[in-house]
Amino acid sequence: MLSTLELSPQSLDAEAPVRIAVKNLDFYYGEHKALKNINLDFRDRHVTALIGPSGCGKSTLLRIFNRIYSLYPEQKATGEIMLDGRNIISNDVDVNELRSRVGMVFQKPTPFPMSIYDNVAFGIRLYEKPPKSELDDRVEGALRRAALWDEVKDKLKSSGMGLSGGQQQRLCIARTIAQKPEVILFDEPTSALDPISTGKIEDLLEQLKSDFTIAIVTHNMQQAARISQYTAFMYLGEVIEFAPTNTIFMNPAKKQTQDYVTGRFG
Amino acid sequence: MTAVTDMKSIPPAPVIRKTPKATFDLVFRNASFLAALLVLVLLAGIMLSMIVGGWPAFREFGLGFITSSVWDTQNEQYGAWPAIVGTLSTALIALVIGVPLSLGIAVFLTQLAPPWFKRPVATAIELLAAVPSIIYGMWGLFVFAPLFAAYVQIPLSNIVEGIPIVGTVLYSRSPSGLGIFTAGIILAFMIVPFIASITRDMLEQIPSVLRESAYGIGATTWEVVRHVLVPQAGVSIIGAIMLGLGRALGETMAVTFVVGNANRLSASILDPGSTIASRIANEFNEAMGLQLNSLIALGCILFFVTFVVLVIARLLVARVKKF
Repeated sequence: MLSTLELSPQSLDAEAPVRIAVKNLDFYYGEHKALKNINLDFRDRHVTALIGPSGCGKSTLLRIFNRIYSLYPEQKATGEIMLDGRNIISNDVDVNELRSRVGMVFQKPTPFPMSIYDNVAFGIRLYEKPPKSELDDRVEGALRRAALWDEVKDKLKSSGMGLSGGQQQRLCIARTIAQKPEVILFDEPTSALDPISTGKIEDLLEQLKSDFTIAIVTHNMQQAARISQYTAFMYLGEVIEFAPTNTIFMNPAKKQTQDYVTGRFG
Repeated sequence: MTAVTDMKSIPPAPVIRKTPKATFDLVFRNASFLAALLVLVLLAGIMLSMIVGGWPAFREFGLGFITSSVWDTQNEQYGAWPAIVGTLSTALIALVIGVPLSLGIAVFLTQLAPPWFKRPVATAIELLAAVPSIIYGMWGLFVFAPLFAAYVQIPLSNIVEGIPIVGTVLYSRSPSGLGIFTAGIILAFMIVPFIASITRDMLEQIPSVLRESAYGIGATTWEVVRHVLVPQAGVSIIGAIMLGLGRALGETMAVTFVVGNANRLSASILDPGSTIASRIANEFNEAMGLQLNSLIALGCILFFVTFVVLVIARLLVARVKKF
């Protein structure tokens, strides 16, 4: 099983600065404690994968980083998540500004009901008022980086809802990177896509890594092994093991991790 | 294919139940066909009798029936213009007031309201939709109109008197509280529950992940609602508005109570007027001869106007869907 895993070839840079530092993080859905004492470091310009069986809290953790959970009054987080020297879960953080710096791509593609161009320009226009020509350039740049430009350049004015699922997901990625965030969160971005679209998105992640700090939740262990440099294995709301991806998959320290990555449970 | 021929050689299984008779199917099919046909026959019958009944008026006055403002039972002169204008303007006022209110209610209920507040408001909206129109009419006549006269019509008329255009449109010559504008307001109250509850349902059906991703790129609540949620539910919202418009155009009882029932056309929206439906309701009992024909002809026009609104709504929805 392990030998079939194609591990990410690029070497990780152990000296890379920590972009997001999670310390003693607890999370509650109402009374239910969903995350217990999470401690993790997300390194700058690296891909960190969160893996674990359904319900282990990996998506919950991801949704804290851009405060999406704040939309729901019964959910609350305690502890510390440091991003650029600020604790982003404290109440005085401007969540809208935070979300423009910590982008998120969801499990299902979520194009907005507007043209392809406006979908990408939407996020830019929220915080900047660039002149038309610059906006055009940034939209084109984002679409190129999302490997979508060639497919949509002739129909920028048509609706984003008319694209295929894989194209829609790349449109959402383009929309996110157009805002020039520092961190991009991916919540199982390929679970609703066919293998070819999945391959394209994985290639994309590989390239985005040079500019963004990436956290990705995935159910697909091969995917985690292929694209990430660090992997955190979570189970029942706790981080069981956090290490370089090669270590997690080849030589995990905990038996639970070993069992999970070899497919013996989960 | 071989399998099928093999089956034939097998002796028939003992009959456990009676073979269903083909006649049942035939009866059922014809019965449902007749039910469907009945709709068409009814519609055609209503249209035909309206046209036949209204024909003498159309023949007598020609196109003048639509454009004329005279309604003179003594001299047998009838024109529909004030009623048409009244119908359209009350419906328009109802939409202008009712639509923003409804959207506001729907957005508040789905996006902003704390859970404990949601249910009472939602229930109240549903209850409002169930209030009979005559109740709205009575309330409008006995409660709303006097207040409206005292606190809006009279002060407003004092302010705008003498100002060109505004002084005409908003000046009330007989500040009784009754009039086109009052009817529009009452109609707005009546259509709000429909538009609000349909819009709320539509907004609630939007997957939460779309909402989350709109918030996720840093949009404020206003931006999420304005640019993502409302356009997403757009077609259905237009449908809901058209449903409200249909009700506003045809509403009879409540409007008859508060519109003032004036036969003359006034330039002021605060003055009494009449709508097609209120005119018919007021005069139908005693009408005979050409007056009766004219009322039926009015009904024809209302039928036509509602039909046109429906067609426009369909076209709008089709266009939005294509995008």
